[in-house]
Amino acid sequence: MASTVESTTAVTGATSAPKRAPWIDLAQFVVLVVGLFYLAMTGANALNYNWQWYRMPKLLYRVIDGEFVWGPLMEGLFVTFEITAWSLPLAAAIGLTTALLRRSNSFAGRALATGYLQLIRNTPILVQVYIFYFVFAPMFGLGGFWACVLALSFHEGSFAAEIFRAGIESVHKGQWEASDSLGIKRADTYRYVVLPQAIPLMLPPLTSQIVTLIKHSSILSAVAVFDLTTMALDQVAETFMAFEIWLTTGAIYLVVTVTLSVLINLFENRIRRRSQR
Amino acid sequence: MSMPASDGMAPPVRKRVFKITVLDVVVIGAVAVLIGYLIYRVNTELVYHWDWSRVFEYFVYYDEETQSWRKNLLIEGLIILVRICVWAAIFGLVLGLVMGVCRVSDVLLLRLVSRGYVEFVRNIPPVPFFFIMFFFVGNQLLKPLDLTALAQGASPFWQDVFLVIFGETNLLRNFAAAAIALALYEGAYITEIVRAGIQSIERGQWEAGQSLGLSRYQQLRNIILPQAVQRIAPPLANQSIQLIKDSALVSLLSVQELTFMGNEIQATTTRVFETWLTVGAMYFVVCYGLARLFARMERRMGRGRAT
Repeated sequence: MASTVESTTAVTGATSAPKRAPWIDLAQFVVLVVGLFYLAMTGANALNYNWQWYRMPKLLYRVIDGEFVWGPLMEGLFVTFEITAWSLPLAAAIGLTTALLRRSNSFAGRALATGYLQLIRNTPILVQVYIFYFVFAPMFGLGGFWACVLALSFHEGSFAAEIFRAGIESVHKGQWEASDSLGIKRADTYRYVVLPQAIPLMLPPLTSQIVTLIKHSSILSAVAVFDLTTMALDQVAETFMAFEIWLTTGAIYLVVTVTLSVLINLFENRIRRRSQR
Repeated sequence: MSMPASDGMAPPVRKRVFKITVLDVVVIGAVAVLIGYLIYRVNTELVYHWDWSRVFEYFVYYDEETQSWRKNLLIEGLIILVRICVWAAIFGLVLGLVMGVCRVSDVLLLRLVSRGYVEFVRNIPPVPFFFIMFFFVGNQLLKPLDLTALAQGASPFWQDVFLVIFGETNLLRNFAAAAIALALYEGAYITEIVRAGIQSIERGQWEAGQSLGLSRYQQLRNIILPQAVQRIAPPLANQSIQLIKDSALVSLLSVQELTFMGNEIQATTTRVFETWLTVGAMYFVVCYGLARLFARMERRMGRGRAT
C-alpha cells in the first residue's frame, strides 16, 4: 500500500514534478516565522514575563529639553565601530607582514609567521582576549581599550594573512621572472610589480573582514570595554528586560552586518566590472 | 611559454640555502628586544613573582584524607569541555545534515528555511546569539520540562550514567541550554559544509539517477550523499576544532568548562599571568594535536581527492 504511493511520487519526482508557485512557499515561510515568533512570545507570557517594549526607545535615544542624546545601546554601537575602525588597518598590516614573512627567505621570519598563525588558529578567541587583556596589557602598560583592539587585530590578522597569501600567489610566475630579469630587487618587486596586481584581488575579501570584525568585537564584552554587547549585558542587569534588550541588540547587529554585506557586494561588483574593462 | 601548467600561477620561492639574511637579523633582533622589554617590565616595573606551582596544583592535587591524587578544576574543566562539545557535535551534525540537504532542495520553502537559519546565525555576533538562544531555549523550552527533577527521579544506575554524560544534574538545564545554543551555532557552519559537498558532485550524477527513474530522495540517498561524504569529511574535521574553540564562549553562560575554570582560578589564586597562559596552552595542545591528527588522516585517505 505504502509502496505504491511511494512509487507514484517517485515517478512524478523523476519527471521533474510540476513546480509550485513560489508565492505559496513564501507564504508558508512567512507563516512559519510568524508562528515561531508567536510561540516564543506566548511562552514568555506563560512565564508571566512582563513585556516592556515601551521602555526600549529610551535605551536607543532620548530627547532631554529638546536636546538629542544617544542611549546606552547606540553609544555601545559607536564603540563597536571605533574598535572595528582601529582593528581593520592593524589586522591588514599584521596580515601583510605575516604573509610576506612566510614567503621570505629568512628562516627566523618564516618561523615567527608560522608560530603566530598556529598560536592564533589553535586557541579560542575568548582566551586570546583574556590573555591580551589580563597578561599583555599589564606587561606592556596598555589600557583596556587598546588591549582589546590588539587582541582583535592579531586574531583577524591570521585571516588577513591567508587573504594576502592567496592574493600574492595568484600573481603570475612570469611577473616575478620578468622583474627578476630586469634586476629588480625582491622588495621592489613586491612594491612595484606584485602588490599593485594582488591588492585589487584582495580588496573584496579584506572588506568583508569588517563584518567578521564587528561580529568578533562582541566577544570583547567578556572584559571591560563598552561595546554594544557590554551595554546590552549592563542594561539587562539593570532593567531585567532580557528578551527586549537581546532581541533589539541582535536586530541592531543584524541591520549593521546585512547593510555592510550589501555594500561590500556592490563594491565587489564594481571592482569586477572595472577589471573586466 | 612552456611552463608546467600545474605551477604556472605559483610565484617562485627563492632557493633556500641555509644562510642568515638581513631579515633574519632584523626579526631575531626585534623578537629579542620585545622579550627583553617584557622581562624588564615584569621583573623591574611590575615586580611580578612568577609562581607556576599555584596554578599547576589545579591540574591534580594530593588529597591527604584519602591518600590519593585527585583531579582538580583544570582537568574537570577539560572534561566538561569535551562533554559539551560532544553533545553540540551530535546535535549540530544532525541539524547541519538536515539543513544542508534542505539548502539544495527543489522545494523553495525548505531552501528559504535553511537559508534563513544560516544567515541568521552568521549575521548575529556570537555573544548576542548565545545569549538570545540561551534565554529562549533555557527559559521557554527547558524550564517547563524541569530536567533536573527528571534526572533526579531516575534510578541510581541512570543517575550514574547521567553524571558521566551530562555532568551534575542540578546544572542540567544550564548545560542543556548551552549545548543546544552551541549546536545551533555550529549547525549553520555544518549546513554550509554539507551544501558545498553536495553541490560539488557533478550534475551528471543527478541526471544518471534521474534517467534510472530514481526519485530525488533516492538520488540523494543512494548516489549523491555517499560521494559527498568523502568530500565533506575533511572540512567537518576542521569544524570540530572550530567547535572546541567556540565552546569557550559558553563560559559566558556559566557552563563550568575550561575557560570558566580559568576565571575561577585567576580569582582565587590571583596568579593572573600563569592562569591564562596555562589555559591558553591547554587549548593549544588540544586543538593543535587534533589539527595534526586530522592532517595525517587526510593524507592517508588520499591527498588531492578530498578538497
